[in-house]
Amino acid sequence: MGASDKFIGFVMLLFSIFVFAYYTTWVIVTPFIVSDHWIQQYFLPREYGIIIPLVLLVVGITAIGTFLGLVMIKSKKNK
Amino acid sequence: MSTKNRSDKSSSSTTTKDKYTIILPTYKERENLPIIIWLISTELEKCFIDYEVVIVEDNSPDGTLEVAQQLQKIYGEDKIKILSRPGKMGLGSAYMDGIKKSTGNWVILMDADLSHHPKFIPQFIEKQKKLDCEIVTGTRYQSGGGVFGWNLYRKLTSRVANYIASVLLTPGVSDLTGSFRLYRKDVLEKLITQNKSKGYVFQVEMMVRANQLGYQIGEVPITFVDRIFGVSNLDSGEIVGFLKSVLNLFMNIE
Repeated sequence: MGASDKFIGFVMLLFSIFVFAYYTTWVIVTPFIVSDHWIQQYFLPREYGIIIPLVLLVVGITAIGTFLGLVMIKSKKNK
Repeated sequence: MSTKNRSDKSSSSTTTKDKYTIILPTYKERENLPIIIWLISTELEKCFIDYEVVIVEDNSPDGTLEVAQQLQKIYGEDKIKILSRPGKMGLGSAYMDGIKKSTGNWVILMDADLSHHPKFIPQFIEKQKKLDCEIVTGTRYQSGGGVFGWNLYRKLTSRVANYIASVLLTPGVSDLTGSFRLYRKDVLEKLITQNKSKGYVFQVEMMVRANQLGYQIGEVPITFVDRIFGVSNLDSGEIVGFLKSVLNLFMNIE
């Protein structure tokens, strides 16, 4: 159990590092690189740099709010 | 309460020897009680530590009280004291009642269900002496510490809950909900009287208030072993309850 948890943790860590590096490069470095440079094809159009985090935030908060709401309703019913 | 006077370096030995009281609140611990008493006794005798155990028994239906009394006959009334209460009246009151019966100047709080191993107690004591602090807490979240017997979900919830509470309350310790701790007796009394929470958040509030009052808190990595028999689950109601209490603490703490 410990070994597989460690592995999952390691994968999560790698994933976060990758996302961080990608996003940082995307937002800070790409604006300074010539627009027909070959590396630009690996990054999405820049609007998505704002849209994607925003969408994730909204979805995340909705999910958490729904979860909290459901649990509180369930506990009120049990009382 | 006698405390070491820091400026009085001329005395070569402390005027009072340290005695450690271990308060064990028990409820339905008939099978674990002999084991934990034996572990406490062997680990502490090894290091020549002066100790006593106060068992705060909340009228368990499984005969824990009888087991405690038998243990008292074996280990002696100076080593094992029993406080029998009419029923479960909460952790805070169990600790307070236990303190009243204790004769030590230091108090160790731990779980009686074998999730805390007494072998860490000498390490707590050593840490306290080294840092000259008032409180030492066991931590599962520092290098060398950890949990055995939890699945990934449980570990994740614990970590996230600890992180949220940490961010809101900045207590200065890495493990907020842990309950394996060493306190100086007067410090413990003061903290309990101010504490208004129940359950997991009780432990959180202890650390937050201690930090507020300026007490030094040392940390020792420990391993928490959850329930060798059976599975303990954390239901979603408890999670929400915890978050609500933490928020409440955040709003109301001065």
